[in-house]
Amino acid sequence: MTRQRRVAVTSPQTRLALSSRRGGAPAVPPHLSAGEAERARRIHRRQLRHALSALGLLGVLLLGLPLLLAALPELDAVRVVGVPLSWLAVAVLPYPLLVALAHWQLRRAERAERIGHPGRTARARSTRPVRPG
Amino acid sequence: MTDVLSVLLAVVPVLLVTLLIGARGVAAMRTTSDFLVASRRISPTVNAAAVSGEYLSAASFLGVAGLVVKDGVGALWYPVGFAAGYVAMLALVAAPMRRTGALTVPDFAEARLGSPGLRRLSAVVVLVIGCLYLVPQFTAAGQVLGVVSGSPYWVGVVVAGAAVSITLALGGMRAATYVQAFQFVLKLALFIVPAVWLVLAVGPDARAAALAPVEFSRFAAPTPVEFRLETSVVLTEPTAVAVDGHPPQLLAPGPHEAAAGSTWTFPAGAAVPEVGGGPPGGPGWGRPLLDPGDAGHPVLATWSVLVATVLGTMGLPHILIRFHTSPDGRGARRTAAITVAMLGAFYLFPGVYGLLGALLLPELYLSGATDTVVVQLPARVDPGWAGALFTALLTAGAFAAFLATSLGLLLAVSGALSHDLVPGSLRRLRFTPLAAAAAVVLLALPAASIDVGVLVTSAFAVAASTFCPLLVLGIWWSGLTARGATVGVVVGLLSSAGVIGVDLFLGSPPGLAAILLGQPALWSVPLAFATMVLVSLRGRPPAWATTAMLRLHLDESGPGRA
Repeated sequence: MTRQRRVAVTSPQTRLALSSRRGGAPAVPPHLSAGEAERARRIHRRQLRHALSALGLLGVLLLGLPLLLAALPELDAVRVVGVPLSWLAVAVLPYPLLVALAHWQLRRAERAERIGHPGRTARARSTRPVRPG
Repeated sequence: MTDVLSVLLAVVPVLLVTLLIGARGVAAMRTTSDFLVASRRISPTVNAAAVSGEYLSAASFLGVAGLVVKDGVGALWYPVGFAAGYVAMLALVAAPMRRTGALTVPDFAEARLGSPGLRRLSAVVVLVIGCLYLVPQFTAAGQVLGVVSGSPYWVGVVVAGAAVSITLALGGMRAATYVQAFQFVLKLALFIVPAVWLVLAVGPDARAAALAPVEFSRFAAPTPVEFRLETSVVLTEPTAVAVDGHPPQLLAPGPHEAAAGSTWTFPAGAAVPEVGGGPPGGPGWGRPLLDPGDAGHPVLATWSVLVATVLGTMGLPHILIRFHTSPDGRGARRTAAITVAMLGAFYLFPGVYGLLGALLLPELYLSGATDTVVVQLPARVDPGWAGALFTALLTAGAFAAFLATSLGLLLAVSGALSHDLVPGSLRRLRFTPLAAAAAVVLLALPAASIDVGVLVTSAFAVAASTFCPLLVLGIWWSGLTARGATVGVVVGLLSSAGVIGVDLFLGSPPGLAAILLGQPALWSVPLAFATMVLVSLRGRPPAWATTAMLRLHLDESGPGRA
């Protein structure tokens, strides 16, 4: 009994990247059909908008909170269950907000990916792939 | 002797399990691609645990609590930035980067921009980030083992280096993924359980005192302070100090030099001497903003750390490669989202150790050993068996933290060496980690004095100023040219690593300049972005650039795609 031969499992993209290891331009110049390129352009635009708005909210949270705490030193004296409110604002508050922001961005990004891809919408909702025909 | 025993009990199981999982991975590893990406059969949750396990380093496990004791509550902004980095990663990099198929940033540079020169430059940046990140891991290992077992600093450093490099050479990343996922669960448990025990065991008075800090101005009990480094101590009143167990001698007020390795025992009620920087609980300590060295610009200093940590995360070479174990872009994105939640759970707890440490072990700030506060707390709270048990558990967790991060970093560094700078075969890739670990051990031996958290943040600043603009512009802007990217990375590298190096070796100037030089991300990141854009606009991207950029946003299972 011979042992099963093991082979490297790499995705086609990885093979493409590895094949272009040497030389200036990629060995296989990337190609998209006209329809795909158009769809990619729409997805790119929408994803960029989503990414920028998520980053904007992240910036408001992370740059605004220190500014707020600097402007309102009296928050140090306000206590919630004995803990200064301003400490909670650093030690606890950001984490649930970050998780919520990540979840929101994940859902929007996955939805944007299904643009012009009607089959995917159905498939993504059910756990089992829908068999065509 | 019992101390050495408890260290062995704590560290040996972690090492054995790490090696065991590493050894199991060997059988499945056949090619370079296997070695690097573990055949990509990993679910987002397992992968997120592995990312978190790899990411929670000594800086998170020990460094943050230490910085809270030293700099105040504002140090809790570091973990906020560490976790928020994955939101930026999720929004900007995770899925498209996975779709390039590139294993590392150097691969990405060549796949997207077709420039072998940029690939080599990126590999050099990987080495810089890797060293800035690895050295403090090994320093922390040496310090913690030294404190807990009384063994010399170098023993801990060498033990950590040996364990990590043997695991890597035997198992590669196939093993590392499971090792990392296992170590995340281990670290989470070993951090949270002792924290809960500490909070319950200290009693209500100490809990109330920890939340209402008073300045550490008088020693409450006879206190030995072991100076790890030569330290200039300014006494404010005549104090009877027992140096190295000799009978107490009355020292006059004014500056005195404490030799490295000497132990000064201060009597109860003596005034706490000054060593530069405010003591725990002093004015400003409880303000929730970062103001290291009381430079007087707390908002700028806090922003600078946040910009470095948030934008640096997406350029950390050992984290990026981990996203390639996701099967596709969608998986990579989900991995990033789950990681935010996992890290958030962990980062609720460093503050507990920091606040209790500032109350119970404020003298650590005198000796410069604040990074050891986490492992010293249990024995201070309970001198009996429970204290010893939790010390052992926390030591195991801390050791798991260096192992996990160092594994990933050594893989990234050896990947850059044998893959990009000097292309080689699997055999070379297997043994490069050994050489890299030896080099880092040699670098860590003289670096005992550096704060773990601060040096790690420098690594983030370098990543934020080089790889962040390269990846973000490469993924989202088709106009980026190879020349623009190259010039931008060089400018970013010089303005981050160069400036931090000048700051480390020549000493920092006072005031605003200290923040701008010590934590340059606030200006070096925009500078790198601007350079890349301006230089690219003067050139012309190749004809295939738009397609190369657009295909990164198409989901893998779309029509007509392999």
